[in-house]
Amino acid sequence: MNSFWEWMKTRLGIEELWNALFARHVPEAKGWTAWLYTLGSASLFVFTVQAITGALLAMNYVPSPDHAYDSIRFINEQVLLGRFLRGLHHWGATAMVILVSLHMLRVYFMGSYKYPREATWIVGVLIFLVVMGFSFTGYLLPWDQKAYWATMVGVNISAQVPVIGEYIGKVLKGGDEMGAVTLTRFYAIQVLVLPAIILGALAIHLFLVVWHGISESPTRKEDDQNKNAGTGILQ
Amino acid sequence: MAYDPTENEITRRSFLSRAIVGIGGLIGAVFTGIGGGYFLSPLWHKKKESWVDLGLVKDFREGVPVKVDFTVRKRDAWSTIESRSSAWIVTANLKEFIAFDPKCTHLGCPYRWSDDKKQFLCPCHTATFGIDGKVVSGPPPRPLDRYPTKVVGGHLLILPQKTAEA
Repeated sequence: MNSFWEWMKTRLGIEELWNALFARHVPEAKGWTAWLYTLGSASLFVFTVQAITGALLAMNYVPSPDHAYDSIRFINEQVLLGRFLRGLHHWGATAMVILVSLHMLRVYFMGSYKYPREATWIVGVLIFLVVMGFSFTGYLLPWDQKAYWATMVGVNISAQVPVIGEYIGKVLKGGDEMGAVTLTRFYAIQVLVLPAIILGALAIHLFLVVWHGISESPTRKEDDQNKNAGTGILQ
Repeated sequence: MAYDPTENEITRRSFLSRAIVGIGGLIGAVFTGIGGGYFLSPLWHKKKESWVDLGLVKDFREGVPVKVDFTVRKRDAWSTIESRSSAWIVTANLKEFIAFDPKCTHLGCPYRWSDDKKQFLCPCHTATFGIDGKVVSGPPPRPLDRYPTKVVGGHLLILPQKTAEA
């Protein structure tokens, strides 16, 4: 067993990976601001929850006007633990938007997006937009009154864009009116397109976080003579 | 690998790593339990039998087979599939009933009851069955298929799924 573990370590680089990912140096943070550094990990955790619960929910969901609402009622009322699992996905979606937004605000107000972490920020903004796409497309899937009319409003807002708005609305709806094609489109985007994008973006984002290291907190230190302290510039 | 200045003593670092492993393990276990239960739930899902009410027992007559049409409402997860079906009902004493699948066991033609011959006649290949469903003549390989029946509260119920002859 021990030699097998040694074999694994040398062949997979487990120790180096572990040190790079978990034993790396992070800036010292004290007080409540230290908690702000957990927002990224919290978002990642909720994303994992969404991926797992989403895959399980998809096993009993049908993206068709005839069956969408009934299949969700089936999940809620018939499938073992279905209501709880759907609740996790439902509240996880809300938590995801809140956590990702707070994470973004943290990075913005601490100036962590500055040199040399601009690329991390840009990819992060892409992830934020994808999360918005997730919540917009996911909201329609229950196909109840709230879902239908909220999506109608959302699509109509998109259609207000000058010149091309009308075409954006048509593409979102998959036609002139909201219906079966809108639902299948939103479902495909929600479970195939956006996950592919966010997984790629997350890989880049997390690599860059590790590569550049975590930025110093911009708080002034009393015993620090360095004028750069607190500007977020790598020291 | 981990810095451990004193053995057999809980340091801040070892406390935190134990807390992470402990709480993380707990969360993981809860998720595995819930997700696993959901995923594996078909294993202990009980099949629901959909018995069809064919009406009051006293409306049937002894020794006179009658064809009853009914609607089968079959639950398939979130959808209900309705289909028209029928059965030949035979009773000798208004207590015990036999329900025959209305298709000949040869090639599935619908048969009828002949009051003159006191037999079920299939027009396709002139097969005949007795009132007990046994083949009297013709090519059918086996007696008429039956549906389970039961009497509940004066109503005749059948389960429109074929079973072998009782």
